[in-house]
Amino acid sequence: MTDSRVERSATEAARIPLSPRYGRGWLAALIASVLMVLVLAYVIAELVVAGIGIWGTNIPFVWGFDLSNYVWWIGLANGCSLFAAILVLRRHSLRTAINRFAEGLALFAVICAAIFPLFHLGRPWLFYWTFPYPATFQVWPQFRSPLTWDFWAIITHLIVTTMLWYVGLLPDLATLRDRARTPVARRVFGSFALGWRSSVRHWAFHQRAYRLVAIAVIPLALVIQSTVAFEFAITLVPSWHETRLPLHYVVSGLESGLGLILLAAAALRGSLRGIDRFIDDEDMNLIGKLLLANALVACLVYAGEVASALLAGPLMVEAILNRLVGHYAGLYWGAIALSVLLPQALWSSRMRRSNPAGILIGLGVIAGIWLDRLSIIVGGMQRDYLPSTWRIYAPTQPEWALFLGSIGLFAAMFLLLMRFLPVVSMSETRHDEYREASS
Amino acid sequence: MSRSDYGIVAEFASANGLLAATRAARDAGYRRLDAFAPFPLADVSVVLGHRTAVVPLIAATAAVVGGGLSYLAQYWMNAVDYPLNVGGRPLHSWPAFIPATIIVSALWLAAAAFLTMLFKCGLPRFSHPMFDVPGFERASDERFFLWVSSEDPAYEPRDVAALLQRQGAVAITRLEVTR
Repeated sequence: MTDSRVERSATEAARIPLSPRYGRGWLAALIASVLMVLVLAYVIAELVVAGIGIWGTNIPFVWGFDLSNYVWWIGLANGCSLFAAILVLRRHSLRTAINRFAEGLALFAVICAAIFPLFHLGRPWLFYWTFPYPATFQVWPQFRSPLTWDFWAIITHLIVTTMLWYVGLLPDLATLRDRARTPVARRVFGSFALGWRSSVRHWAFHQRAYRLVAIAVIPLALVIQSTVAFEFAITLVPSWHETRLPLHYVVSGLESGLGLILLAAAALRGSLRGIDRFIDDEDMNLIGKLLLANALVACLVYAGEVASALLAGPLMVEAILNRLVGHYAGLYWGAIALSVLLPQALWSSRMRRSNPAGILIGLGVIAGIWLDRLSIIVGGMQRDYLPSTWRIYAPTQPEWALFLGSIGLFAAMFLLLMRFLPVVSMSETRHDEYREASS
Repeated sequence: MSRSDYGIVAEFASANGLLAATRAARDAGYRRLDAFAPFPLADVSVVLGHRTAVVPLIAATAAVVGGGLSYLAQYWMNAVDYPLNVGGRPLHSWPAFIPATIIVSALWLAAAAFLTMLFKCGLPRFSHPMFDVPGFERASDERFFLWVSSEDPAYEPRDVAALLQRQGAVAITRLEVTR
């Protein structure tokens, strides 16, 4: 490839993120998601004023919709950031197409995840009590409690995911600053670009730092996902008290992250004209294959869940049978159908390349993992040791509103991201094209 | 206020042009150089002798220090300063301290890498003489630039300009700053 072709395609790459043709679909989606954010604001205000008594959680269901949504969101975040970090380290060609928006998705998912444990505290304004600061009442946090693990996990995840995204974005912010047509845009992008001057020296340190942040993300994503599982495993609830739980959460969390990436990639290809040059058929093919492979591993993990319960004592058998055929059996089988059976469609290469199929399968997998979390939490707690407390849990309206509101917040942040920042890395695209030209 | 010479900046249309010019300038004895490109150019970095190994070194040290501090803080607070007996479990329950220790070391690793990068690049710095070079906004897009500092011991404006011209520079600017 000649230098002038590199020049032309790099210019095209730059137009995509800030295209003026976003159309009515984008605006309608933004309005819908902002309305859901308003619902979120209302329900949070209600929650703070009235307390968590407005939720349907009660003994034995000390955890319900809130914790299951937290576990689901944090799994999406860990899946996306783990995948993005591995692509950075492997210098895989998929990185150019996927990384920028995958890192953004991870960041937004952590923000949504943080809402649930924060408001589950009951008095969210005292959340800083979990931080070890020299308080006047001279009490330190109890670090042997999983609540403090969550504190470190969420704060760190938020900071490190932001750094992974921001370090990768820095050169693109400089490009946006240099192309800005209005002084305001120039100032805003210029401030975030920190004065990046594309010096080869900057690039050398930038590449090192980007890879190091990616290295930090890998243990972080695995440990945080396992820590979430430990929070279940250290309780006495029969179907949670298992050493296999971290594996279950890592595998299914990564699967939901891949489902989200497939969904976002297919949605971007379907809505932004010209983006399929950067997220091409080969990229979709690879994501599809990865998701399929992950679904097969998830199938193995689900089978291991039943097998290990059947091999354990009668209490465990009763617990697993309750999840398989009890009141909440629909959640369990829904999870199997959506997260194991539905991705089998990806064996067909036509399905892997189709945008509508990508959107449906991505949504299905995400919904399947959501059902799995709900099945573990409410299905696991339904039969407590004390038969007198056996009852049925159903989420109340504020719980649904909080959940749907968090999805609205996530969608609004993603829609604004694709409007104001490049969804495909411009500098990586230029770099790839240069390498192809010189090889 | 007086205008003083900041050096010569040459613009190139291709990465190979920049690489050749950087090599030529090094061979001619210039040491205070900086190259600008819209994507990482490892070859040019090698010619200019950039050493970035300090970043992983600092990041690894920070990870060990951060993790160590986290573990010691948890131990001191829960086992020494405010011992709390929960169901007769040991005060120094080390397995319970591990998740936060690993998470905090990853935090220090990433933060140290990021801050070291900013420090070594001298960022944030919003104003820089290079931004006055005509057409420099294309350095973040498709153009390549080489700057020879006026503080280079061998600096002689006409010689530098002639050398860069021979290397096929598409534009040459003599950069001045107001001091």
